Amino acid sequence: MLLEIKNLWVNYGGSDILKGISFEVEEGSIVTYLGNNGAGKSTTLRAICGLKPPASGEIWFNGKRIDGKLPEDIIKLGLGHVLEGRALFPYMSVLENLVVGAYLQKNRRQINSTLEEVYTHFPRLKERVSQQARTLSGGEQQMLAIARALMGKPKLLLLDEPSLGLSPLMIKEIGKIIQEIQKRGTSVLLVEQNARLALGIAQTGYVLETGEIVLSGDAKILLNDPQVKRAYLGI
Amino acid sequence: MGVTLSGQDVIQTIINGLCMGGMYILIGMGLTIILSIMNILQFAHGEVYMLGAFTVYFLCVLHGVNLYLAVLVSMFTTAIIGLLIERILLRPLKGVFMSYVCVTTGLSLIMQTAVLLSFTKGTKQLPSLWKGPLDVYGVFISKERIVAIVIALFLTLGLYIFLKQTKYGLAMTASAQNREGALMQGINPNVMSAMAMAIGSGLAAVGGALGGSIFNLDPYMGGLAFLKGITLIVIGGLGSIPGTVVGGLILGIAESVLALFFGSQMGIILPLILVIAFLVFRPKGLFGHD
Repeated sequence: MLLEIKNLWVNYGGSDILKGISFEVEEGSIVTYLGNNGAGKSTTLRAICGLKPPASGEIWFNGKRIDGKLPEDIIKLGLGHVLEGRALFPYMSVLENLVVGAYLQKNRRQINSTLEEVYTHFPRLKERVSQQARTLSGGEQQMLAIARALMGKPKLLLLDEPSLGLSPLMIKEIGKIIQEIQKRGTSVLLVEQNARLALGIAQTGYVLETGEIVLSGDAKILLNDPQVKRAYLGI
Repeated sequence: MGVTLSGQDVIQTIINGLCMGGMYILIGMGLTIILSIMNILQFAHGEVYMLGAFTVYFLCVLHGVNLYLAVLVSMFTTAIIGLLIERILLRPLKGVFMSYVCVTTGLSLIMQTAVLLSFTKGTKQLPSLWKGPLDVYGVFISKERIVAIVIALFLTLGLYIFLKQTKYGLAMTASAQNREGALMQGINPNVMSAMAMAIGSGLAAVGGALGGSIFNLDPYMGGLAFLKGITLIVIGGLGSIPGTVVGGLILGIAESVLALFFGSQMGIILPLILVIAFLVFRPKGLFGHD
């Protein structure tokens, strides 16, 4: 298993946000993590990457235990995280954002070839290399956030609500991009409220409700689950 | 005061203003970098500036080291002191805002007293950076002020290139713009804080050396310098290097022009008036974000 979470508890200001979550991400797969606002999706991702240390439980990444470690040490192991709200460097250019994404990469030639690869995935970013990140459209900003994370050559990419605030057309494009990322060998843990998008491209899905996983299984089966249909697909 | 101003007066006022502005910029840049990376106001930054001046005094006047070499040495030793302050005093505080205020304020008092006790009483001044006036078509300009302006310009440019062109500089800029975003690229925030403190302290030390060659040295010289630094941040906008430069030049030139007409006491009042005016009418400063 690339990522394994065992009985994870996270506590914010005295109340339990996550109540004993367990799930896993297999190497090479897209796993989606669904749930409504406040269910604890972002909290789970923040616990994985060390921004919010868990109260108890274990997190294993690529054979190493990572819970309780500092973010910079966890990222070093090959984790990429596209935070909710994108967390771009707004007054830096597109290129500068991407260069900072390769902060941990030592080999300059390799950084350049990664950059070229990223440009083939995101031709729109190439057109805007010298533009400040804050001047991009919402969709382009989301692309830049994903591209910046890819510059770090992650084994696993955590994506926090990439469809948030985007047009339906752009959401479709982001979905395609996520599938391309999987094809080049990066596993993806996708947190979404847009269940149709997420279950459409994922292999496995987990449904989170108020800090507990209430449903899990094959994404295609979840897509047809009456409970999921009612709660997340509005059917 | 005469009704007519000679060309000499005008040129000299501008040169004085640029020189003072350059000194303020060296102080203000450190403050703004530390504030935007570490999210703290370094209340002992003025004392770091003072320490830089006294280090030059100690080396150059008391031990006969070449002035320029002494400034260089002071820049590096003060940068190391900045590193130590971050590592020993600030890092253990783990982001608790009031703790930072208490520790840095206390540190400023300790540094003042330590320097007061370490040196004999009496007027202290650094030797001139370059003695004598420069004759430009009949207008006399003090050479040391020119040197001070050039040094400030050179260091500002150096910092700008560092922040724009180097890997660590870009990482610092990124950390200042989005802390969590930077963390998620694997940037170690402690390394960034240490760099901010080292660079900021080194620049302040050079500012102190320039100030000390123009004014007298005393252990309390940091207080006013700190005030000017804060003024620059308010005028220029937090975290903006161009803002700090423009703010410094505005402040320096405005002070020297006002001094020409109303006497140098205006120089102390002006920063406070500017701070209030900016906070009321343009709180984000000239080049500030959001």
